[in-house]
Amino acid sequence: MIAGIDLGTTNSLIGVYESGFPTLLADSEGKRLIPSVVFYPETGTPVVGREGLRMQALHPERTVSSVKRLIGRRFGEEETNKLNGPKGYPVTLPVNGQNLTPEQVSAEILKRLKAVAEERLGTTVDRAVITVPAYFNDAQRAATRRAGELAGFVVERILSEPTAAALAYGLDRLQENARVAVYDLGGGTFDLSILRLDNGVFQVLSTHGDTRLGGDDLDEAIAGLLLREAGITTLTPEMKVRLKEAARASKELLSNEESTIVLLPFMEGSTSLEIPLTRTQIESACGPIIARTRAHCLRALEDAGLKSEELDQLILVGGSTRMPLVQRLAAEIFGKKPNLSQHPDEAVALGAVLQGAILEGSLQNVALLDVTPLSLGIETFGGLMNVIIPRNTTIPAKAGEMFTNAVAGQSGMKIIVLQGERELAGDNWTLGSFEIPFPPSPKGTARVGVQFSIDADGILQVLARDTPTGSEKIVEIQSAVEVSDEAVEAMLAGSLEHAFEDMDARVFTEARLKAEEMLPAVEVALEQLGSELLASEVLEIHGKSSEVQAALESKETVRLKQALAALDNATQTLATKLLEKAMG
Amino acid sequence: MSCPFALLGFPRRPLLSDEAIGSAYRKLAGESHPDQSDGDAERFRELSEAAAILRDSSLRLRMLSSSPGGSLLPLEAAQLFPQIATLLQQADNLIEKQATASNALAKAVLAAPLKNLRHDLESTLNQLQEWRTSLDRELIEIDLRWPEHDPNSMSLLADSYAYAGRWESQLKERKLTLDCF
Repeated sequence: MIAGIDLGTTNSLIGVYESGFPTLLADSEGKRLIPSVVFYPETGTPVVGREGLRMQALHPERTVSSVKRLIGRRFGEEETNKLNGPKGYPVTLPVNGQNLTPEQVSAEILKRLKAVAEERLGTTVDRAVITVPAYFNDAQRAATRRAGELAGFVVERILSEPTAAALAYGLDRLQENARVAVYDLGGGTFDLSILRLDNGVFQVLSTHGDTRLGGDDLDEAIAGLLLREAGITTLTPEMKVRLKEAARASKELLSNEESTIVLLPFMEGSTSLEIPLTRTQIESACGPIIARTRAHCLRALEDAGLKSEELDQLILVGGSTRMPLVQRLAAEIFGKKPNLSQHPDEAVALGAVLQGAILEGSLQNVALLDVTPLSLGIETFGGLMNVIIPRNTTIPAKAGEMFTNAVAGQSGMKIIVLQGERELAGDNWTLGSFEIPFPPSPKGTARVGVQFSIDADGILQVLARDTPTGSEKIVEIQSAVEVSDEAVEAMLAGSLEHAFEDMDARVFTEARLKAEEMLPAVEVALEQLGSELLASEVLEIHGKSSEVQAALESKETVRLKQALAALDNATQTLATKLLEKAMG
Repeated sequence: MSCPFALLGFPRRPLLSDEAIGSAYRKLAGESHPDQSDGDAERFRELSEAAAILRDSSLRLRMLSSSPGGSLLPLEAAQLFPQIATLLQQADNLIEKQATASNALAKAVLAAPLKNLRHDLESTLNQLQEWRTSLDRELIEIDLRWPEHDPNSMSLLADSYAYAGRWESQLKERKLTLDCF
């Protein structure tokens, strides 16, 4: 028996295929959704789920939530910029004096799911299909696999979430021939996949997404709104957690109601807060975030070679798609009413169960043809990326490249492997590197064939083949940065000390870049339209520009930020006039 | 690798129905997918590669023309190239600026150039669409005369499809980015 697991950013689920039906398993309280939160007590085993969630407001520094946003990532990536560590090294979280990996934290969640399943079924459950966002890269998929293994599972497949949802949708429609789009907006990630359902074959035509866009971002936007409405200026970590919780609760409430009052008892010492909030307000705050999904939808359609009119169904999954705003926007992008037949929280888990059933042969005559979401390539001379396996190639897939020695006697060659769509190697994500050994030979005569193979999980394996001898071996891919454990510990300890200084330097740099962009823009704008402003307005703009200049030289962060805000203000009219002129 | 046409059950000819290829691929690939009880990973991969070749006019024609291609530059490609190259560079430049513009004024300064860029992208895409339509007409004619054919003109047609397709997707990508700003 192979269990199906949705390891979600916010909630996780586990299910099995029983008597021809995919069934999700509930815990002792009858709940199928287990919050993806892990609380680490000072001593004893970690606490997962609702109990963990309850502890978060009391002990935020010992509770980890949304760890899926960190799995497979490295220090220095945008997502990990609130954590300190050596750039390029796999990210870790400091909890109770230990540095935990996201795999370890995720494994605790998976262990809990395993326990729930074993208790409900009265038998060992040690094989599983685990879902990941379609847009997860190689490291994120491999790390999710490792988390499963740490939890005691044999991971039979890493499955893309929109594909899982499509499977759940199509199970009752296996005779059909249809083109569907799955719009999956979860807690931390967004995926858009376009599939062709054809007599039991589920073929992914294209997939696009953003692994940094989800319900958590909406919650943050609403929390920011609450913060401004309440006029709170300083936040303790505990307050932050409560605020985010209140934001999420009000987001969910306002999906059904038009207005509410957010209650935060004893939020600031003995002061309780009552903040009125309307659906219109949160839609205003969340609109720009949801709008970011548009580009991915259009790209997926483009890659699939389809127009939105040619789609038969638009299926929404993911908790965030309950928001009327999201449903409206998805409908507008695709020009059709969304299909809400799938349970937004459960469809993916059900699909995972079905994939397990296919693998063990319980479900016949159903095939999933999935794709790799990101182009795979290597870095070439000149710092460009040479694509070896393009994005949206059906997996499992392989492609070969032949390498030869550039100079006589060259002992080997280092190949850097990349994933991404940009032309410059440096703009893409580095998967790792490997060495090809060359036998000693005259220039240009060594022949080493390298085979890049992406398996059904979407994970890369590299095989090197020495053409003369025909010998093949699996090439180990080295991670992007090689650092010893002691060195890492030292770096982590050191970086915490410098955290405050680094923070201020970072904020100043951001402001400086803004100023360096703004000052020339002001010059250009004044040249083009300065004559249409009053002399007093022009004078004021010059004055505020000079203040920005002076603040830059003084290197004072607060002064610079204030000067920039003042200049922004002073150039409002100018900006409006420029836009009017461009449109007209 | 065995003949991609035969693998998917199609005759060796220049013109094939995209829908028919997709349908045949799904049926055969579904049966041989490694997850199936009588799956065959090697056959699955061959089918996937065959489908990719047959669906791409350029690759399909190259398979048939038995001429390596790439040595003659199609006239239209030579004519369009400077225009496309400049446009791509301009587009990337402006997109970079727009993406990093962090305040209203910086964005407003870019408004007029972006509007012009949009217009240029659209008109160039129209030109490419017209070129492609003429290529499709040529493809039908070649198919009618098949199996008689001139390897050189087939090779040129294959290369033309390759250029047109590549430039179309590059320009569409930029246009999409602009549309979503």
